[in-house]
Amino acid sequence: MEQRDAPSKEILRDFYREMLLIRRFEEKVEELFRAGDLPGFLHVAIGQEAVAVGVCRALEEHDVIASTHRAHGHTLAKGTPPEAVMAELFGKQEGCSRGYGGSMHLYDVERGNLGANAVVGGGLPAIVGAALAFKFRGESRVAVAFFGDGATNIGTFHESLNLAQLWQVPALFVCENNRWAESTPASQQLTIEDLTQRAAAYGMESVRVYGQDVEGVYREAVRAVERVREGCPVFFLCDTYRLHGHYIGDPQVYRSKEDIEDARDNHDPLELARPQLELSDDELDQMDSEIADIVERAVEFARNGTDPDPEDALRNVYA
Amino acid sequence: MPELSYREAVRDALSRAMRRDDDVFIIGEDIAEMGGSMGVTMGMLDEFGPERVRNAPISEMAIVGAGIGAAMQGMRPVVEVMYEDFLTLAMEQIVNQAAKHRSMSGGQVKVPLTVRTQGGAGWSPGAQHAQQVEAWFVHVPGLKVVFPSTPTDVRGLLWSAIYDDNPVVFFEHRTLYGIKEDVPEELEPIPIGQARVHREGEDVTVVATGRLVHEAVAAAKDAEEDGVSVEIVDPRTLQPLDEDTIVESVKKTNRCVVAHEAVARMGFGAEVAAVVQEKAFDYLDAPIERVGAKFAPIPFAPVMEEYVVPHAGDVLEAIRRTVARDGA
Amino acid sequence: MANEVKLPRLGQGMEAGTIVKWLKSEGETVEKGEPLYELDTEKVTQEVEADFSGVLLKIAIEEGEVPVGQTIAVIGDQGETVEVGGDDGAPQSAEKPARAPKRDAERELGRAASIEEQVTEVKAPKREDGRVKASPLARRIARERGIELGGLSGTGPEGRIVAEDVERAATTPSTAAPAVAPAGAGAEAEVEQLSSTRRTIARRLTEAWQAPVFQLGVTADMTQTLALREQLLARQAEGSVRPTVSDILTKLCGVALVRHRELNAHFVEDELRRFPSAAVGLAVAAERGLIVPVIPSCETKSVTEIAAARADLVERARGGKLQRSDLEGGTFTISNLGMFGVERFVAVLNPPQVAILAVGSTEERPVVEDGAVVVRPTMELMLTCDHRAVDGAPAAAFLRDVKAFLEQPALAL
Repeated sequence: MEQRDAPSKEILRDFYREMLLIRRFEEKVEELFRAGDLPGFLHVAIGQEAVAVGVCRALEEHDVIASTHRAHGHTLAKGTPPEAVMAELFGKQEGCSRGYGGSMHLYDVERGNLGANAVVGGGLPAIVGAALAFKFRGESRVAVAFFGDGATNIGTFHESLNLAQLWQVPALFVCENNRWAESTPASQQLTIEDLTQRAAAYGMESVRVYGQDVEGVYREAVRAVERVREGCPVFFLCDTYRLHGHYIGDPQVYRSKEDIEDARDNHDPLELARPQLELSDDELDQMDSEIADIVERAVEFARNGTDPDPEDALRNVYA
Repeated sequence: MPELSYREAVRDALSRAMRRDDDVFIIGEDIAEMGGSMGVTMGMLDEFGPERVRNAPISEMAIVGAGIGAAMQGMRPVVEVMYEDFLTLAMEQIVNQAAKHRSMSGGQVKVPLTVRTQGGAGWSPGAQHAQQVEAWFVHVPGLKVVFPSTPTDVRGLLWSAIYDDNPVVFFEHRTLYGIKEDVPEELEPIPIGQARVHREGEDVTVVATGRLVHEAVAAAKDAEEDGVSVEIVDPRTLQPLDEDTIVESVKKTNRCVVAHEAVARMGFGAEVAAVVQEKAFDYLDAPIERVGAKFAPIPFAPVMEEYVVPHAGDVLEAIRRTVARDGA
Repeated sequence: MANEVKLPRLGQGMEAGTIVKWLKSEGETVEKGEPLYELDTEKVTQEVEADFSGVLLKIAIEEGEVPVGQTIAVIGDQGETVEVGGDDGAPQSAEKPARAPKRDAERELGRAASIEEQVTEVKAPKREDGRVKASPLARRIARERGIELGGLSGTGPEGRIVAEDVERAATTPSTAAPAVAPAGAGAEAEVEQLSSTRRTIARRLTEAWQAPVFQLGVTADMTQTLALREQLLARQAEGSVRPTVSDILTKLCGVALVRHRELNAHFVEDELRRFPSAAVGLAVAAERGLIVPVIPSCETKSVTEIAAARADLVERARGGKLQRSDLEGGTFTISNLGMFGVERFVAVLNPPQVAILAVGSTEERPVVEDGAVVVRPTMELMLTCDHRAVDGAPAAAFLRDVKAFLEQPALAL
């Protein structure tokens, strides 16, 4: 097992590449949506790449995650190929949920992705249950729930933290505090500034990190995951920033220009990581164009995918 | 043949499954030392220990959801919700999560979860502890719903529910826990989706569930004296519904009464009536009658509760309406 | 290189937006990311940034609602010429599908199989709104056994007919029901599947039943018409068809019809079509049922010509050799049951025609003339009209003329 506390430059570059893939993927998704190519509605993770990559890279392959409506980043970071995600957004059979789920219901069970959830907080109890199953079977696996600051207000959050702590199951609760619940700022929905207090209310251990520094996130995540694997649930709070709107097309009329600019100028995880990589401009350009290619190919793949038969709607209702 | 009460039959099914498979475990409120509010799990803590007979805090969402998560990992959890009125607290997890995982994932995921619950009026518990809510769940694609009315049925069907790979909402009835019946020595699984002709007859088919199966039996005896021969069909599984057995029966008798304790209006019985008129239209000699609770929250005072909730007399009246004549 | 600026889809479900104001003018330089115009969507007015850098060469749409995807401007290099590519994004309005062909064709076919109803006495009794209350099972048994529900009394709640009532009727002879299964043990009902002709007749009759009709009756003194017939017979050419009273009636009706065009008409959906010429249909009993071949231009044909046409049609009808054209285009129908000894009856409308004349036998009957009772040959005529198309007064005027023409044929000249 390699030295995971201090990731090497190579590993950092790999993290950066992954974050860049997520960034370009999401930008392309926005473009496609605006052109009218994608049905439904979409929430991009632009600005929150470091949390997805930092946490997912701290996990083993057999660990499981459950995500939120803002799921593309987590899904890619957990290893689902971009073609499969893109094809799902296009509603094709080749999509990771075979066209049945769409942006907010991306599943990849083989890679430990137990599904993204459109109901805020909806996936947390099942993560407690998965962790319980690991404990029952004596498996050294970890179950990770991703959710936002808005979710810390809903019943399932409180019930799940309480139950996980009570039963001492290997669950990691990753809270991406981007300080906005759709259009509602923290000041209008949270009674406290430090959300780790919510975990403390249930006697749960917590960690708080700056979510835009992928290296920092990774190192803390490794430590937290170790703790969780020992059977102690942990609340992992990441202070992060949403660089775009809540959903594609959100004009963010509720957010001040300064707030948006501050996020874009000072808290972009890609900008922050780049100087640490020790790569030349040419090498960065090279990576950029490789990633751009990968995304283009994913779009091609998706466009040429197979539409489901309308009658497929009646399949997979029951096992 | 051993005699088991409905309550013992539930315990028997749970225990046998847990003995056979480490993957089966139960979660619920007060199910451990106390043995459950209805005494169903009495003694099971001693046999299986606190990990597998797991007391839970009052967190219906989380415990049902935990059941979902464990089921997705291949275990077969049975979660008890103390009163079916409290299913409301776990609706989001049951309806938005458990019922839909399989579809949303394109078939990658299975949720072999059983949610056991009970309800029933007649003891003045007040409106929030007396409801019958099966209609909400039969309406959700992805869920199966079972409602047995006898010890043999509840034992055989609970076993099948546990081993079904889909989420099953399993309704027991409070007033039935004490009824006793001779049951086979070995547990015989009963297939989900299969109705049972509880009593054979010629003149009218009564489709009844839960407590109303027994009320229908009483009404049938009275009707016999009027010269009306009543056939009673207990669907046992509400979703998927055994339409064939019901329709065949109505084609034979030409008359149909649907009876359940739940509110009549917009209830499960309405669906049965629709199916019968669709598939046996030309065989009906009278309009389909429905028996169910009147449209009001169930009041506390015994006289009012008695009025709202249906009994054998209501079934008998419905039977009589189907064979009524004005002249000749 | 010029880039077209298209209206972007900015939200789920957005199909169009309204350009409120351009923030740059034609000819101005634009940087990618700079606000370019203000857009009003259903939810909010917002600034939209430029996706390209360059010169705003052309604003194609100044303001107003634009569908998503439509080109609204072009950004390119200074001096480039630009042609804005129309509404490549705008959805083409679908061509209105051709109106579904009217049911005329069917009606033409159906007209060939029209039938009149028999005398009122035999009609089945009906409830207030015409519906019979019977359980689905009772109806099925009645259908299978050929029992008329209308004649039964029901013992079910509110007089509903139940299976038992039909079973009882099947085993006891009933006087009310016109078509009852044979009584007695072992008697099997003869089941005849309806031929398509009969089914069409049944269907068209049901259609005709929808029309609100009224009936007018007159009795005509046939003395002059009978005399005219004798004259025609006397002058008849060798081998030609003997004209009948019906032929004279057909001619006279033709004349009356063009003088009262309201009755020489079709009622179709919301239209009334009056015809300049009278094409009179004659009900003929053919083997497979009643059919109504048509004699066109009755107002201009002579009685002799009408007789010839009539004879030809009847012969071909009886021989099953009628063509479709023989059955099409009728504007009025005459049904004559006089040869069967029927004195009077009411005919069922032949839609889309607005009127039909039922004619009975000519009988010697006592009439009053100048205060004294005398015996004259008289014929009863009943005119049935579709009240949606024809009112009483014009119908009466028409019938009065027909009677007048029968009583004094010269008036038809």
